[in-house]
Amino acid sequence: MSPLLLTVIQAVLVLGLAPLTVGLVRWFKARLQGRQGAVPWLPYVALATMLRREMVISESTSWVFRLVPFVVCATGVFLVLILPLVSTGSALSAYSHFMLVAGVLALGSVFLVLGGLDSASAFGGMGSSREMTIASLVEPAVFAVFAAFAVASGHATIDGMVQTGGAALLVTPALLFSLIALVLIALAENARYPVDNPATHLELTMVHEAMVLEYSGPYLAMVEYASALRLTVFLLLLANFTVPTSFLFHPSAWQTGATAAVLVGTFLKLLLGSFLLALLETSIVKMRFYRMQEYLSLAFVIALAGLLLTLFL
Amino acid sequence: MNMKTMHAVLEAVGRQPTFASVDTTWIRVEREAFAPLVHVLVHEHNLPLSLLFGTDDRRERKGFGIHVVLSLDEAHEWLVVSTEVPESDPAYPSVTSSVMAAHWYERLLSDMFGVTPAGHPDPRRLVHHENVPLGTHPLRKDFAWDAKLSHDDVPYPMHHVAGEGVYEIPVGPIHAGIIEPGHFRFNVAGERIITLEGKLFFTHKGVEKLLEGRTPDEAMPFIERVSDDMSPSHALAFCLAVEKLCDAEVPQQARLVRTLLHELERLTMHIHDLSNMAGMGTGYSVAAAQGFRVKEDLVRLSARLLGNRFWRGVIVPGGVARTLLSEERVDVEKTVASVCAEMHALLKVFLVSDGLHERLETTGVLPLETAKAYGALGLPARASGLDRDVRRDHPYAAYLAPELLPRVVTQKAGDVYARYRMRVEELQTTEQVIQKLLPMLSADGFLRMDCQPRDGMALGAVESWRGEILTIVRIKDGKIDRCFPRDPSFCNWALFGELGPGNIVPDFPLCNKSLNLSYSGTDL
Repeated sequence: MSPLLLTVIQAVLVLGLAPLTVGLVRWFKARLQGRQGAVPWLPYVALATMLRREMVISESTSWVFRLVPFVVCATGVFLVLILPLVSTGSALSAYSHFMLVAGVLALGSVFLVLGGLDSASAFGGMGSSREMTIASLVEPAVFAVFAAFAVASGHATIDGMVQTGGAALLVTPALLFSLIALVLIALAENARYPVDNPATHLELTMVHEAMVLEYSGPYLAMVEYASALRLTVFLLLLANFTVPTSFLFHPSAWQTGATAAVLVGTFLKLLLGSFLLALLETSIVKMRFYRMQEYLSLAFVIALAGLLLTLFL
Repeated sequence: MNMKTMHAVLEAVGRQPTFASVDTTWIRVEREAFAPLVHVLVHEHNLPLSLLFGTDDRRERKGFGIHVVLSLDEAHEWLVVSTEVPESDPAYPSVTSSVMAAHWYERLLSDMFGVTPAGHPDPRRLVHHENVPLGTHPLRKDFAWDAKLSHDDVPYPMHHVAGEGVYEIPVGPIHAGIIEPGHFRFNVAGERIITLEGKLFFTHKGVEKLLEGRTPDEAMPFIERVSDDMSPSHALAFCLAVEKLCDAEVPQQARLVRTLLHELERLTMHIHDLSNMAGMGTGYSVAAAQGFRVKEDLVRLSARLLGNRFWRGVIVPGGVARTLLSEERVDVEKTVASVCAEMHALLKVFLVSDGLHERLETTGVLPLETAKAYGALGLPARASGLDRDVRRDHPYAAYLAPELLPRVVTQKAGDVYARYRMRVEELQTTEQVIQKLLPMLSADGFLRMDCQPRDGMALGAVESWRGEILTIVRIKDGKIDRCFPRDPSFCNWALFGELGPGNIVPDFPLCNKSLNLSYSGTDL
C-alpha cells in the first residue's frame, strides 16, 4: 500500500473518531460514578449544533481572537497527519521529528493562551496565566521523554521510535520511566485530572476552559474539536508506545488480513484509553493549583531518570 | 462554676430592666449611652451581639428605635438594649466602632431607615446599589411598598489594592452554576488572594415591608420563602416569637413534629453540603453524583409526606397544621435509616481519600477570634471552636427535654476540613434525635392552640442547619408592625473577607461551599 494512502486512512480514522473519544471518556465517567450518562456520540451532535450557531464576539477583541481557532485546529490536524497513530511509515512520517512535534504542541498552547488574553476578560487572563505556568513546566519533560526514546531507538522521529517501540521497551526497560512521564505529560497537556477539571462550571478553578470561555458557535466548535484531536492523538500515541506494532499499518508489510486487526486494534486502544482516563478522573481529587509544580517537576524528574538510564545503561 | 445571671449583669452595669418577659429582659437608654453600654456588655461581660435592628416609632414617640439583642447563653436569656433617635436628628454614635459584629446591621439600618450610625468605620451603602436614589428608606412607615424608584448613579466603591502585579477579578453576579446572584471582587497577586469582598443584595424582595400589616397566619408564606432550603427553621423561629406574645403552651405533640421537621431539614442539607463540598468543590465528582442521589431520597420523602420538596407548610403559629400518620412515621423511619446508612458508607470512601484531605485541610481558615469578632454563627463558628448552639443555649420545641438535646459538636482548626467533620458528626447527632423522636409521636393529641398575640415585641431563635435564626416580631392590634427574620447568612457573609485572603483563587469555590450561605435569606 502506498504511504500516501496510509496517511489518508489515518487522517480519516483519527479525525473521525476524535469526538467519539471525548464522548467515550464522558460516558465511562458517568457509568463509573453511577450516573446514566449521555450517549458516547453526543459530541458529534454538540459540534454540529455549535457549527450552526451564531457567534457572539466581544468588541474588545482583535484579529488574534479570530485567528486562534484556526491555528489551534491546524496544529491538531498537523499532528494527526505526521504522527504514527494508525500507521507507521506513512507519507508525512519523516516530519515527526520530536522537536517539531513538541514545537507544534507548544504552538497550539500558546495560541490558546493568546485567545484567552485577547478578549481581556478576567477569566481568560486567569486561565492563560495558569496555562503558561503549566506549559513552561511541561516543556522540559516533553523533551526529556522523547530524547530517551530517540536514544533507545536511534531515531529522532516519533515514527521511527514507534517502529521499534514495542521491542525497544523490552530491550531498554529504562524507557518505562519515560512512558510514565509521558502519561503525566499527557494528562497536563490535555487539561485532565489532576491538573484541570474539564467538567467544572466553576470559572475560578478553570485552566483550559477559562481560556475558551469567550468563544462561541463555529469558533468554539473548532477549539473543542482541536482538544478532542489532541486527546485522541495522545491516547493512540501512548498505546502505540506500549503495544506491538502489528496493530499498525506499514507500507512494506501490508496484507489484506491485517486491515481488520489494525481497525479493531485502533478502536480498542481508544476504548481502553478512555476507560483508564475515566477511571482516573473518577477515583482521584483534582490537585490544589499550587501543587502543580510538584506534579510537573515529578514528571520531569521521571523523564530525566528515563533519559539518563537509557544513556548510561 | 459561677453561673452568670441577668440580674448580676444588669447590676454590674447599673441598669434597671424596663420590662422583662419569659426569657427576655428589655432596657432603654439614652442614645449617647447606647454604644458605650453595648461595648461594656459585649467586651466586659462577654454577651455576644446577636442582632441590631431599627423600628419606625415616629407615630408614637416621634423618633426611630434602635435595638440591640445580646445573648446570655449560660442563663438561656436574651437582653434587649433599646434607644431612640429623634426624627429631626436621626443619628447616634455607632456601635460598630467598638463592636465589629454590628457592622452590617448598622449599614442596613442606615439604608432602610435613614438613621446614621455616626463614626461607622465603613459607612458605605449595603442593600442599596448604585441605582437606588439617595434618601430612599424603604422601612420607614411613610414609604409605600409599591413605590416606583427612579434610577440613580450613587457611587458604591469596592475595596481596591494597587501595586505591581496586583490585579482584580470580578466574579458574578451571574454565575456559571445554578446559584443565586452575588458579585465577588478579588484583588490578587498571582493566584494568592489579597482582599476579597462580596457585593450581595441582588435579590431584594421587600419581605420586611410586605410583612407589615399582616396577621401572623398571613405572614407564614412569606416567612417560609425567605430562604427555601431552611423553610421549617424560619417558620419555627417566627412562630416561637409570635407564641411568646400569646398566653398558651404549644402542645407537646406539636413540639415533637416541629423538631422532627427541623432535624429532617438539617439531615437533608448536611448531606447536600457533604456531597457538594467533596464533589463540586474539589472535583471529586463521584461524591456529588452519589451524595445528591442520597439527598434526593430525603427531598422525595418531603414530597410524599407534605406535597412539597422543602419540608414546608406544617409549622404554623400555635402548633402544627398536621401530624404524621403511623404509616408515614414508618416511611420516615425507613427512609432516614437507609439514607444515613448509605451516607455513612459513602463517607467512609470519601474520608480515606488523601486528595480530599489535601484539598480541605488548611484551606479557608477562620480563626476563633475572627469568628467571635464578626459574630459568626452556627456550624462555621463551631468549627472554629466557638461553642454556641441555640438548641442548648436557648432551648425550644422538643429540645426543652434534656434527653432530646443533641450533643453540641465543635472543632478547633476552623478550616474547610473542620467544617466538613462538623457536618459528618452533626449528621450522627441529628440521626439520633430523629430516632428518639419518632416513637414519641402519636397520631392523636392536641396539635394547635389558639394563638391571638397581644401587642408587644418578642424574639424567636432556632438553630437551623446554617446557624442561629433570630426573628424579631412586633405586634400591634393583632397585626405585624415590624418583623425581621435574621438569617445566619447575614452574619456569616462578611467572613469571606477574612477567610479568603491568603488562599489561592481556585480554592475560593471550596471555601464558599464550606459555608453555603443563603443570598436570599441575607437580602430580605
